Amino acid sequence: MIFLAKLGIGALGTALVGAAALSSEGFIYVNVLEHQPGGTHINVLVPAALVPATLRFVPNHHLAKASQQLRPYLPAIDAAIPALNDSPDGVLVEVADPGEHVLITKRDGSIVVDVNDAGETVHVSVPLRAAQSAIHQIAEANPAD
Amino acid sequence: MKPTKTFLPTLAVSSTLLLAVTLAFAASTTRYLHVRVTNPTTHELVRVNVPLALAEKIIPAINHGELRDGKIRIGNFSADNVNLRAILDALKTAPEGEFVTVQDTGDDVRVAKEHGQMVVHVIDKNSHENVDVTVPWDVVQALVSDTTENQLNVEAAIKALENVGDTTLVRVSGHDENVRVWVDSRNTDSE
Repeated sequence: MIFLAKLGIGALGTALVGAAALSSEGFIYVNVLEHQPGGTHINVLVPAALVPATLRFVPNHHLAKASQQLRPYLPAIDAAIPALNDSPDGVLVEVADPGEHVLITKRDGSIVVDVNDAGETVHVSVPLRAAQSAIHQIAEANPAD
Repeated sequence: MKPTKTFLPTLAVSSTLLLAVTLAFAASTTRYLHVRVTNPTTHELVRVNVPLALAEKIIPAINHGELRDGKIRIGNFSADNVNLRAILDALKTAPEGEFVTVQDTGDDVRVAKEHGQMVVHVIDKNSHENVDVTVPWDVVQALVSDTTENQLNVEAAIKALENVGDTTLVRVSGHDENVRVWVDSRNTDSE
């Protein structure tokens, strides 16, 4: 009985530590809703900590082009993301016209993009820290590896 | 011993107050560069709010096109017979209120130094567009600091903007579009 209790506590502890580690970098949230009847509704919530881990399993040759395109902008990205993280929350960019509304905000350590037009509503939230580590991982992908 | 006992709580309270005031001041001093473009005909709106501290860190990291090491090449302005750097150098030594005025059938252009600011007014008679540019003199000096003939120091100008009061830098009013660029301490673009 005591052994089972210990095992249960161990499993619970491991689950809690795992959950804490997974949620430590926040969550990537994607919500896409097509306005047409029977339109697609995508709702995805992924722990951001999973992204760098997942990228390790992507063969480098698939990331080669993205890596090449990202590398020149890496210094600017490295300067921008920590500075953005330190900035207060608020609207960074808003574009509105009668048919479309695009809003880019910084909120709770994440960049949030909302697009609302006649065809669909899109909401994407990406934690900044996770974005930076994922960008680095893509930029460092070497097709020769 | 009694004076020490009364002194310590007073010191603690005043230190806490000082810390609170300092933190409140620090929190409220994030400066923003705002850009707002509106089109009254099409009801289009673009607004951008950039913390100056963010711009200050990003600009030096961009080495692309005409922007390198926080400085932008302005060779194209010279090619259009407007040597911006030369105008700024001339204004540096000019007394307050002295205008450079250019009037022709197409445009009226006035450049002045007023109340510690460089002021440029352009009226495009053809498109009925007015452009008003007001740049604090410290920012003008920062723009031409540590530069060669055909450069403007954007990084230094942004640093200088952190220390100026709330001000409208650019206002363009026309039939099709209105543009306003300004600096303040609000994280929204409310006027």
